[in-house]
Amino acid sequence: MSLSTSKPPAPRLATPKTAAIAARNAADVQLRGSWSLTFARLRRDPASIGSIAVILLIVAFAIGAPLVAAWTGHGPTEQFRDTGLSPSGIPVGPSAEFLLGADQLGRDVLVRLAYGAQVSLLVGVVASIAASMIGVVVGVVAGFFGGPVDTVLSRITDLVMSVPFLLCAIALVAVLGPSLPLSIAVIVFFSWTGLARVIRGQVMALRHREFVEAARSLGASRTSIMFRDILPNLVVPIIVYTTLMIPSAIVFEATLSFLGLGIVPPTPSWGNMLADAANGSLYLIAWWMVVVPGGALLALTLAFNLLGDGLRDALDPAASKGGKGA
Amino acid sequence: MSRKLLVPATALTVATVFALAACAPSSDDAAGGGEPKAGGTLKVLANGDVDHLDPQLVAYVPTYNVMRSISRSLLSYSASNDAAERIVLQPDLAEAVPEPSADGLSYTITLRDGITWGAPDGERAIVASDVERGIKRLCNPLISGALAGYFTGLIEGMAEFCTGFAAVAPEVDPMREYLENTDISGIETPDDTTVVFTLTKPASDFPFMLSLDAADPAPIEALDELPDSPEYRRSFVSSGPYKVADYTPDAKLVLERNEAWNPDSDPLRKAYVDSIEMTMGVEGDAAMQQLQAGSADLLFDLSPSPANIQQLKAQNDDKLSTMENGGVDQFMWINTKSPNNGGALADLKLRQALQYAVDKTAVVQTMGGEELAGVTNGIFGPGILGYEEYDPYPANDGKGDPEKAKQLLAEAGFPDGITLKLPYRNVGTQPDIAQTVQASLERAGITVELTPVPPTDYYANFMTNPENATTGAWDIALVGWSPDWQGGAARSVFQPQFVFDGTHQSYNYVDYNSDAANALAEQALAATTPEEAGDLWHQVDEAVMADSPMVSIAYRLKPNYHSERVGGFVEYAQSQNGDWTNVWLNG
Repeated sequence: MSLSTSKPPAPRLATPKTAAIAARNAADVQLRGSWSLTFARLRRDPASIGSIAVILLIVAFAIGAPLVAAWTGHGPTEQFRDTGLSPSGIPVGPSAEFLLGADQLGRDVLVRLAYGAQVSLLVGVVASIAASMIGVVVGVVAGFFGGPVDTVLSRITDLVMSVPFLLCAIALVAVLGPSLPLSIAVIVFFSWTGLARVIRGQVMALRHREFVEAARSLGASRTSIMFRDILPNLVVPIIVYTTLMIPSAIVFEATLSFLGLGIVPPTPSWGNMLADAANGSLYLIAWWMVVVPGGALLALTLAFNLLGDGLRDALDPAASKGGKGA
Repeated sequence: MSRKLLVPATALTVATVFALAACAPSSDDAAGGGEPKAGGTLKVLANGDVDHLDPQLVAYVPTYNVMRSISRSLLSYSASNDAAERIVLQPDLAEAVPEPSADGLSYTITLRDGITWGAPDGERAIVASDVERGIKRLCNPLISGALAGYFTGLIEGMAEFCTGFAAVAPEVDPMREYLENTDISGIETPDDTTVVFTLTKPASDFPFMLSLDAADPAPIEALDELPDSPEYRRSFVSSGPYKVADYTPDAKLVLERNEAWNPDSDPLRKAYVDSIEMTMGVEGDAAMQQLQAGSADLLFDLSPSPANIQQLKAQNDDKLSTMENGGVDQFMWINTKSPNNGGALADLKLRQALQYAVDKTAVVQTMGGEELAGVTNGIFGPGILGYEEYDPYPANDGKGDPEKAKQLLAEAGFPDGITLKLPYRNVGTQPDIAQTVQASLERAGITVELTPVPPTDYYANFMTNPENATTGAWDIALVGWSPDWQGGAARSVFQPQFVFDGTHQSYNYVDYNSDAANALAEQALAATTPEEAGDLWHQVDEAVMADSPMVSIAYRLKPNYHSERVGGFVEYAQSQNGDWTNVWLNG
């Protein structure tokens, strides 16, 4: 339904009086690509602009983590037991030396937040892209071939959807030992199913359309039809779903790390930082240990969610008017 | 969120301070809380349940408070806020603390007058045969007591008795049949009030072992049910000031007065409160809030968290107290069997390098500072006979000496450092302690790889699996150990962990053994005076540490808290908490 192929702009019904005016009007009616239209619509949405700004800011913060460390003079795992902790091991709050306070081992929360952002973004983006690739392939194949292929792939999708995420993650980590690649693998494994279902439905609707028949009658191979004719029509749901998958992947990672099943300490991750605050009820006296990583997590996931929403509206304005589309 | 919590807490403190200033504590009794008065329901909050409600099986420290209330032991301790006083052995059911015979092999216990069972058919005197029955129940074939091992080899004829018992079907009738008709040669009961124990070898700490509830007498009714079965728990026959009125596992335990208990026969328990109600399933922070609000009084298996303690100290709350328990928690086992790094940890020099590398003061700071923990250097912790402050590997007052460690590392053939595997439990401050140790070893060029292990698996499946030691799943590991009883308890630290006689012991992870230490321990057990025993146990400590099988890091103090209305909060050493049978309730 959601075609993103070029739509001609509304023709201007001006009657050219002179050659000059005709020329000017001709310039006005120049064909604008769908991408430029999308960006134009996106620009008009303040929430999307704000989200993009927040995301870019956090990306810059993550990339600049070594700079933050150099500027503060605090390494991400360096413990400042004299300046960052009281003699009884209670972290100091935000101050000139520790701008966002110290954690329970006297480490700089600001520096750890920056390095933690690397982990969150890496996991979020890599896992979402990998998951959406799997989702697209499974969805397109299932929808295009139908029959037994569809049955098998759809039941596999159902199966994965019915596996309890945390239980499975705990079991896997207990056997294999926690690590970054394992976290990503677990998140990918549990994330591709939603997109696969959506894509399958879309492909089923598309595969009997005239342009597919035309391609087939011209002798195009199945692979060619799937990827050259059908796939471009699925760009909108893929982009929107992948964008919306990023925040849930980031939260998945934080959940795993919070439970001690994700990133192994002392490597910082936002989930680890939140777990540190929960241990020994430190949150009671060290609010910055909750507010800082929690706020960052909230900002980043909210930004990706709003951007995903904005992208959907911008890419498919028709759907946004009639309620939820794509 | 934290602010919202802080405001009422601060208001409460201000009120407390004014209230205290106005009343001015009537006596110099640190426990405070006005004059003793009887009555009321003591409300206790717990996270989990008791481990067992069967004296012979109990081995969980918090449960000793339940046992203190419902099951009297032969010997026990006075509840006291004085660390030295509360580990002095006192007679409970016995008339006096027994002295060994001249050869050190025999102890005679005389039971007091007026001690009774609150049996279903009316009160009945506790007699010598009940004592014998209790000891016999230790090795019943259904569930043997966790502490049975200390008695089995020590009391003459008990090993044979237990071997025979193991062959009996674990059902009520066959067990009663065997238990009542088979004797342990080392326990004689010449009359109803006299029990004579004969030991296989001298054991100066035997009277201390009799303070364990494992050695409590058992009434004849105890044989009518399977040990610690739901039926047994329901029909528990009490010898203490309270009895079980209601019990729902993992939810609620209610104790009420045992009318059969005779206060004149009990010098250790005042039993002020009328009933004790323990509610389970409460989380730490919620429990602390209830105590501060006054809707509950004491904690069972919960303790104030470091953050709670920080808040309470900031408010100068005198209801917070700490006590030592004789344990060393944490210390770091070194896996001499690890094949990693070409079996390098078998080299004494490398193990000594670790002794110098660890920053013990940093670990103490992570545990909450000097008010909650302290540095240890040997196998025994403070509060145990044999503990002496000494430092076989002095390193800047516990801060560590990275240079010396590097030098030893180089001498051991690792001038460029070494990589070691450290498993850690993902619970509480354990990840923090592991990261603290990691950072301190890093200074000496030792890279530590942290591997998380699920907390429930750590001891049960990971550390106690000898294969993990021999395959190098760990090189160094942080563990804790508390003695099984108080005072003369060095044996319960040394024997399970540092003795290998050919059979693997669960907690001697790498089959460590030292003939020199074993010989000294033998002498210490045969010592006639506590001073002599203490001195010899210290030599055992030195002999073990010379081999550097582990790095002793810190001892922990147990923090305790109680509500405003609790009076006479005195600590009972066995339960590491306030004594339920000696507190009263104001207001």
